[in-house]
Amino acid sequence: MPVELDDYSTVSGDASVSSTGNQNQNTPAPQSLSKKKRNLPGMPDPEAEVIALSPKTLMATNRFVCEICSKGFQRDQNLQLHRRGHNLPWKLRQRSSKEVKKKVYVCPVSGCVHHEPSRALGDLTGIKKHFCRKHGEKKYKCEKCSKSYAVQSDWKAHSKICGTKEYRCDCGTLFSRRDSFITHRAFCDVLAEESAKKKLYPETYTRKNHLPEPELKSPPAALVDSPPSVALVPAPAVSVETEPEHDETETANIASSSVLPIRDSSESPENITLQVIMEEAPRRIGLNGSNDHNSNNNKSVYAGLFASSSTASPSLYAASSSTPPPSLYPPSSSIEPISLCLSTTTPSLFGATIQDPPPPHFLTPMSLPPPQPAISATALLQKAAQMGSTGSGGSLLRGLGIVSTTSSPMELSSSHDTGFGLGLGLPCSSGTGLKELMMGNSSVFDPKQTTLDFLGLGRAVGNNNPGGGALWGGGGGMDVFGSGELSDKDISRRSS
Amino acid sequence: MVTMFQEDNGTSSVASSPLQVFSTMSLTRPTLIPSPSSPFKDLKPEERGLYLIHLLLTCANHVASGSLQNANAALEQLCLLSSPDGDTMQRVAAYFTEALANRILKSWPGLYKALNATQTNNVSEEVHVRRLFFDMFPILKVSYLLTNRAILESMEGEKMVHVIDLHASEPAQWLALIQAFNSRPEGPPHLRITGVHHHKEVLDQMAHTLIEEAEKLDIPFQFNPVVSGLECLNVEQLRVKTGEALAVSSVLQLHNFLATDNSGHSPSGDSASSLPLSNSGKIDRFLNAIWGLSPKIMVVTEQDSDHNGSTVMERLLESLYTYAALFDCLETKVPRTSQDRMKVEKMLFGEEIKNIIACEGCERRERHEKLEKWSQRIDLAGFGNVPLSYYGMLQGRRLLQGYGFDGYRIKEESGCAVICWQDRPLYSVSAWRCRK
Repeated sequence: MPVELDDYSTVSGDASVSSTGNQNQNTPAPQSLSKKKRNLPGMPDPEAEVIALSPKTLMATNRFVCEICSKGFQRDQNLQLHRRGHNLPWKLRQRSSKEVKKKVYVCPVSGCVHHEPSRALGDLTGIKKHFCRKHGEKKYKCEKCSKSYAVQSDWKAHSKICGTKEYRCDCGTLFSRRDSFITHRAFCDVLAEESAKKKLYPETYTRKNHLPEPELKSPPAALVDSPPSVALVPAPAVSVETEPEHDETETANIASSSVLPIRDSSESPENITLQVIMEEAPRRIGLNGSNDHNSNNNKSVYAGLFASSSTASPSLYAASSSTPPPSLYPPSSSIEPISLCLSTTTPSLFGATIQDPPPPHFLTPMSLPPPQPAISATALLQKAAQMGSTGSGGSLLRGLGIVSTTSSPMELSSSHDTGFGLGLGLPCSSGTGLKELMMGNSSVFDPKQTTLDFLGLGRAVGNNNPGGGALWGGGGGMDVFGSGELSDKDISRRSS
Repeated sequence: MVTMFQEDNGTSSVASSPLQVFSTMSLTRPTLIPSPSSPFKDLKPEERGLYLIHLLLTCANHVASGSLQNANAALEQLCLLSSPDGDTMQRVAAYFTEALANRILKSWPGLYKALNATQTNNVSEEVHVRRLFFDMFPILKVSYLLTNRAILESMEGEKMVHVIDLHASEPAQWLALIQAFNSRPEGPPHLRITGVHHHKEVLDQMAHTLIEEAEKLDIPFQFNPVVSGLECLNVEQLRVKTGEALAVSSVLQLHNFLATDNSGHSPSGDSASSLPLSNSGKIDRFLNAIWGLSPKIMVVTEQDSDHNGSTVMERLLESLYTYAALFDCLETKVPRTSQDRMKVEKMLFGEEIKNIIACEGCERRERHEKLEKWSQRIDLAGFGNVPLSYYGMLQGRRLLQGYGFDGYRIKEESGCAVICWQDRPLYSVSAWRCRK
């Protein structure tokens, strides 16, 4: 909606008729964005003309009338837009400066605050709305609540907000306004209790460092001494898992003394909430389920975990993936706090949409890292291409169980036995490596071989289509898989 | 004892009748068909992966040369080894296998059509998958970021801004733009967004979201939906008015225009060639139409891979790399058991792969090309490149770091941004202005 930039300047008590000579900006464009001088609100221009319109005029909708065709408009700008369509000659196009006086408006109702010229409003629309609101009949009623309005725009604005935004305090009170909500929370008793509990585990990922105090002794001392980093992670984990009986008393004491001040009073709700938070990591559930002491361990452990994850940020991801018991702290669980932490700092406008479900698929309870480091498809392709271009890789075929007992592939293989390096990082140009993989080795296989070669296709296709067929000829590459068993097989079959 | 197919005389496998061939197979080699999993049980994933690649290439070769029996045998092996819920290579292989099978099937058009006749297009699933793609990958996020930045910078000082989104499916992009416009020093302009999409519901949803945001921020805003497929779009429908500054955003749409029946028309997959692109076809008409609107800025996000080779082998080789990279991304970010991940793999990437491999002519719409080719083409149509600003690139890089999307890189290539996974370029974002 166009920004209405009217001048406000100080006004004296009397209404003077002289004009300020201030040219109204009649720019046809509905928005003129050059900022005009605004006076303090409530202080109209002393030299402005004070106008008192009758109630009828105020309620009328089309105050601005085109002089040419007598069409009425609600707004001056709309009238100007309309006048353009009349193709007026230049002179008539401009509004003469004489016409324009700064006008301020008073409310005709005596007894109203704005009846005084000193409290006149500079904006016609403003005075009309005021008149409607204060002295008009409330014709528009909100559907959801009981509020009613005289001005339609007020009503619309309210109905958009009504019921949409709700702030709920933990004590159960509902608020529609953010400011009143915040004020309430500052004084809410119920909240004060909760915050004491919250010190245990920053489930809102607040960045308090929860390292227990230095008076801790024994294995969980590692909790304290090590800098807030990965070292925190394995130590308590190991201690918890391997020596539950030994540690439980100690950690219980430690925990109670430092991290969990009110633990004793409200243990079970904490356990539950802890479990709720911790639902991501699968192993933790096992720990939680054991006994109270173990769960105490959990709390201190996980307090440490979250503390560390909160401070260490991206480095933790790399570090945590290398911790010895990866099952306890799957990297995915530490990604989440990081991403949440950082996403609040980036000027990300996507935060609202992306962050909202903190990516659940990252944190499904089944998100165990693959048991063995899986080789990526890209790396496999590069390897294949590499093998194709160097003509090696026969051990693959044999390794895959192809019993090729004839010697000819072996002889050929030895001739192809080039130094084979796994250039996984080798930038492999698009398809050429793979093409060679296909084309290069059709000659390796003797077409007259009757035994089964790798795919059998080498021979068939080798004859009719040089581009197809077996991808790998004989050759070295025992180090392709780095597996001892393969090389043994190869050795037994190699002719040379 | 893995064998695929035996020829006693080593001649071409296009035998006289399939039954004959199969019978020879079973007669001479009773152990031909191995028990389903025995030779493969002890395969390490790496070996299996390499074997899969080998099989795929072999199969494709057979399909290309018409030796369908060999191809069929290869497909059988592929089905044994690949799986949509295995490791990365298995998944990639599964979808390529399906694509190759489809390609074979297309040689019997009636059969193909009959099998696909009862497929329904589920709009909400499409939308959902698109959203998953947005969530799981940073690609769209970076693209939107760079697009918005380019638009913001070019619209400095403009008071009436009209943005045309050629595939309006994601409100997040424009929400961000609205907010960015709101916080610019000279205040927000009068903003108009025209969204083009072939589903009305998507546009309605978008309208609702955007209008809500604009009203919250009190910005003069208008959303004009245009329910139309992009190819039959008439630029008149976009209702560009004089006096307003126009921005056009195209995200992964332009490549569809390259689909044409003219077989000799799309140049072979040599991205280094500097041959002028002489094909005047749908794409040039479209670009010219856009040029006629005199946009102040046009931002194009496209795949940066050469999947438009004229032969299936070329396309397969290229797309293997690309989709291996994309599947790798998913593997590192999302657990294997995730249904959402499988949806993206199947309904988004799987369909693209199918289109690239199995279809030809007008049906093959996923005609991705390298950035260089796009640049040439757009330049020929009368646009000048607008280099993406330093700040934009910085924001893009920060976004990648911030969301933990390690493995991704943004590199700059003559003023355009290329999003790569490890070293493999995947998508490119470039900005253009109308050059008169």
